[in-house]
Parts: sequence; C-alpha cells; structure tokens
Amino acid sequence: MTSNIIVFSEDSKIINDALHVAYSLSEKTGNLIALTNSDENAEEYFRNFDEVYVTKKDLMPDQWASLLRKVFLEKNANYVIAPHTVNNNDILSFLSAKEGMHMVSNALSFQEKGDYYVFSRQVIGGRGISYIEISKNEKIALTVPLKVYPKINLNKSPLVKEITEIPNSKINFAGFEERKRSGVNIENADIVIGVGRGFKNKEDLKLAQELADAINGVVGCSRPIAADYGWLPNDLWIGISSKIIKPKLYIAVGISGAPQHVSGIMDSKVIVAINKDKNASIFKYADYGVVADLYQFLPTLTKKIKEMKK
Amino acid sequence: MVNIAVLAKISLNLNLLKIESNGKINTAESPLAISEYDKNALEEALRIREKFGGKVICISVLTWGPVNKKLQDAERIMRETLALGVDEAHLVVDDYFDSCSPLETSLAIASVLRKLGNFDLYLCGESSMDVSSAQIPARIASILDIPFITYVAKIRIEENKIFFHRELPNGVQIIEAQPPLVVSVTGEINQPRLPTLKQILQSKNKPLIKYTLKDLQIETKAGKLNQWMEVRPVIRKNIIYEGSKLEEIAQDLINNLIQEGVLKI
Ligand SMILES: Cc1cc2nc3c(=O)[nH]c(=O)nc-3n(C[C@H](O)[C@H](O)[C@H](O)COP(=O)(O)OP(=O)(O)OC[C@H]3O[C@@H](n4cnc5c(N)ncnc54)[C@H](O)[C@@H]3O)c2cc1C
Repeated sequence: MTSNIIVFSEDSKIINDALHVAYSLSEKTGNLIALTNSDENAEEYFRNFDEVYVTKKDLMPDQWASLLRKVFLEKNANYVIAPHTVNNNDILSFLSAKEGMHMVSNALSFQEKGDYYVFSRQVIGGRGISYIEISKNEKIALTVPLKVYPKINLNKSPLVKEITEIPNSKINFAGFEERKRSGVNIENADIVIGVGRGFKNKEDLKLAQELADAINGVVGCSRPIAADYGWLPNDLWIGISSKIIKPKLYIAVGISGAPQHVSGIMDSKVIVAINKDKNASIFKYADYGVVADLYQFLPTLTKKIKEMKK
Repeated sequence: MVNIAVLAKISLNLNLLKIESNGKINTAESPLAISEYDKNALEEALRIREKFGGKVICISVLTWGPVNKKLQDAERIMRETLALGVDEAHLVVDDYFDSCSPLETSLAIASVLRKLGNFDLYLCGESSMDVSSAQIPARIASILDIPFITYVAKIRIEENKIFFHRELPNGVQIIEAQPPLVVSVTGEINQPRLPTLKQILQSKNKPLIKYTLKDLQIETKAGKLNQWMEVRPVIRKNIIYEGSKLEEIAQDLINNLIQEGVLKI
C-alpha cells in the first residue's frame, strides 16, 4: 500500500529521529510530509522530506493537535510518526482519539509479519517488552524514542509551506523555570552509588558521598530522592523516566528495587545492594547483597576502604 | 464547588507478576493493584474537595482479564478508593477489554463519563505503571473536546485563576487555564493518605457501580490488537551477606569487588 506519512514534531531539531521508521513504513513510495516549527538549521533537517509545513512560532499542544489533524486529513495519510517527547505523545494521542486510531507510544522496534507490523515497546517500568501486532491496513500513530533508529539522508528538495493561520489555544503559557543541574554526568561514571528512601534525612546522604569519594564514584538516586524530596538535582535520578546507566559498579543503598529504577541499571557490570529488608526486590538484581542497616554498614565499608588505602 | 472525576487504572501488581518459563507474563494469573500515580490523582482530588467542596468520583476499566478471575481483586481496589473518600466508584468489567489498547479504554471511560454528566476536572496519573503509554489523558480530552494539561506536579489556585506546574525534562512549565480540563499528575504532587479503619468499614455502604460492554456506547472501526508481554531475564550472582559481623562482610565484599575488576584501591 502506497501511503503518505506525516512526520510531526513540535521541535524540528529532533524530527529526523523519526525518519528511519517513517521511511521504512512508507515502503519507499509514499510521500514524507513534515509538520514542525522552524529553527535556524531547519533547512538542513527538511531535506529528508517531500513537503514541509512549518510554523514560525512555538505553539501549545492543542494548537499543534488541530494543525496536525488538518494536515493528516488533507494529505489522506495513513501514518503519523513523531519522535517521543511528552508533548508529541500527547498531541498524537489527541489526534488518534479524534480519528479512532490505534497508537503505539515509544516503539522500540518494528518488524513485518505477513499482513501485519509487530511493534515492540517497554512496559513494566522497563523490565518488560510488549509486542503489538497491527494490520498494515490500519491507520496508526507512533512515537519513537530519540537516538535509537539509524540516521538516513534522503537529500530531497522539499516544498516548504509556512502555516500562517494558527488556531487559538484554550490554555495560557504563564512561565518557565529552568531546572537546576548537578553538572555531574552519571552516565559516564565507572562507579555509581544510588541512594534511596532508606536515607532518613538529606544530611545523611553524606554517608554515601564519603563512600563515593573513597572509591572515586559519584552519587545518583532513585526518583523520590530527586523528584519528591528535592534532596538531589533531577539529572542524578536513575531509571526508566530519567537516566539509564551502565557503570562497572553500581551500589544501591536503601533502594527497594522497583522495576522503574532497576531498568535503569540492568546493564551495569556488577550490582551491589545494601538494604535492611532481606525480602527487598533489589536483591534479585544484585550480584552481592548485604542485608544490613545502611547507617551501620556504610560507615564500616568506607572505613575499611580507607584503611586498605593506607 | 469543584466536581472531579478521577480516572484510575487497575494495573498489574508489578511485584507479584506471574512469569512463565519462556519469559511471557501470564496476565490472567497476575494479581492487580491501583497504578502508582493514580493514587496521587485521587489524593489531589480529595484535597481540592476539602478546600472547595464538591463531588469526587472514580472510574476504572478493568483491562486485565478474564473477568471471572479478576473481578474480586478489581472490586477490592475500587473499594479502597471509596475508603479513601471517593463518593462513587464506577467500574467497567467485560472480557472485551482484556488486554485492550488505550483506544478501547478511552472510549469506555468516555462512555461512562457521558452517563454521569459534566465535571470540572478529570484527574489521572501521568502514565500507568504497567503499560505506560500515557495516552489516556489526551485521548479523553480529545473525545470530550476540552483541553488537557499533563505531568502536573503542582496545582495553584489564586483568586479566579488556576496555575498548573508541568514537570518537563528541562524544567517546569507553568500553564494557566480554566476548567473543564483533563489533568495528569506526577508522583511529586502530593503524598497520598492511607484510609482509617472507620473509612474502610464505611466504604462498604458507598456505591460501586458496574458496567459491561452492552451498557456502553462504543463505536470503533479499528480492529482489536493482538499483544503480549515478556520480561527480560536477569542473570546475577545473588551472593547475599547476612548477620552482625559487618567488618567481615565489608572486607569480603571489597575483596570480591577487587577480584571482579570493578574496584581499585
Ligand atoms: C511511571 C513511573 C515511572 C517511574 N520512574 C522511576 C525512575 O525512573 N526511577 C526510580 O527510581 N523510580 C521510578 N519510579 C518510582 C518507583 O516505582 C519507586 O517508587 C521508587 O523507585 C522507589 O524508590 P526507593 O527505592 O528509593 O524507595 P522505597 O521503595 O521506599 O525503598 C526504600 C528501601 O530502603 C530500605 N531501607 C529503609 N531504611 C533502611 C536502612 N536504615 N538501611 C537500609 N535499608 C533501608 C527499605 O527496606 C526499602 O527497601 C517510577 C514510577 C512510575 C509509576
């Protein structure tokens, strides 16, 4: 089936992350049509498309959703594909409901199987994979993760049209606060010490920092430590909804081992868990587990290491 | 007065999954639990009601079947929401929805909502803990033709304006909007309460209304999808130290880590 495909992104910088999947599903004969915002390098990104609809301004999700629907219907498209971001996923969901379509969020891979495509995506907080079979005749929406699919370069000369008629938004932008960052890159560290809710106070995190200093590691954390308590900056939070790390050594301290956390550390070479509850799930994922109170065990471990260094 | 519908997912209990030897998740045999961030949505609804008055209802579609195996567990979860303070619980149970996709779930929710009339806020968690498609908020908004605001970590009400703080990867975006709205919340918005014993007993007398497919108006041309889930295998050494000799344990652990080549002293 020859099909027109709409590739959408509210941010044109990442639009080509969805290109590989779009190009494959177009079976190389359908037109690739982009809808996105403009950017100083936009011309370069647009060379992969046959047609480009572009806005000069950033829009709210509901404005994008109505523009996307207009282009989708006008072009009689079969697929809408977007790089996965919070807003792109919402915008495609909105369209899918209007058009009665299925949608696959964050599709990790796809395969042809006769008259079907089989898409895979992460479930169970990243511990599991689900496989979804969709008939090639269905119209569908897809979001795909960034930086996963191969890059391609189609070198076309697209027809670029600026959209000037922008629908009104029913919600109002009222400000943006940048998030503070630690500046530490936990993705590149060889040794990471993960701290969780087993720590009672922010001050107590120094027990983990002292160990980190002794073994040349860095401190990361579970989601509640950053998101709920604000004890550490968000860029130190490990797991499916933040950083995926693969250090040589990961030491989980006072972390229960929820699947959303564990999926961010699965590829670590060696995992150590310190937890006072011997039934904590984290022990299933650990090479070495210590059933102990962190307030007693961490200082002991740090002291031992310092002694050995002498 | 603010009337609120909370959309809560009856999720698979991630700690008690039944996994077959080939890695497939046996959903029919896996116990259920309310999805993590839907608890925060419920808590937020109760807090808003405490301040402004109004009604809080809870809607759920049982998407893990078969119904004959899962009904009791699903009803228990809906009773828990009643115990927490929800005024009415509405539960869709039909084998048609077993392992369905967000398309069918959102049509079922919207169909129940249409029977119940209009609400000011439709609250739910940012995504479910089992499937995490995060499609329901925008889909419901689309069907109801109202705006949506997702990943909200704070709701601030000032005079006649409501501000929503959206937790996005690079920072916090603040949106001002008027109801009716669909709002999805993150875990940081609040700390959910636990029900008291008295509330648990009282919940038995509160309405829990059930629907099957024939009670709903669901029209869709899209076919139902075939889907299944597998768990990634874990291969770890699982050497566990227990006991009070912490110095010895520490020494042994350090030696092992040095031998593994992951620690240099
Ligand atoms: C959609 C979604 C996405 C999510 N994304 C993430 C994510 O990316 N990353 C993430 O981390 N979480 C994520 N979560 C949250 C996750 O489900 C858990 O709630 C979270 O990981 C729990 O953090 P924790 O282990 O620190 O706390 P808890 O689960 O409360 O565990 C604390 C542990 O500390 C132990 N402990 C207590 N006191 C001591 C002591 N004195 N000594 C030793 N041990 C002690 C306890 O036995 C317990 O095991 C997500 C959830 C959802 C629903």
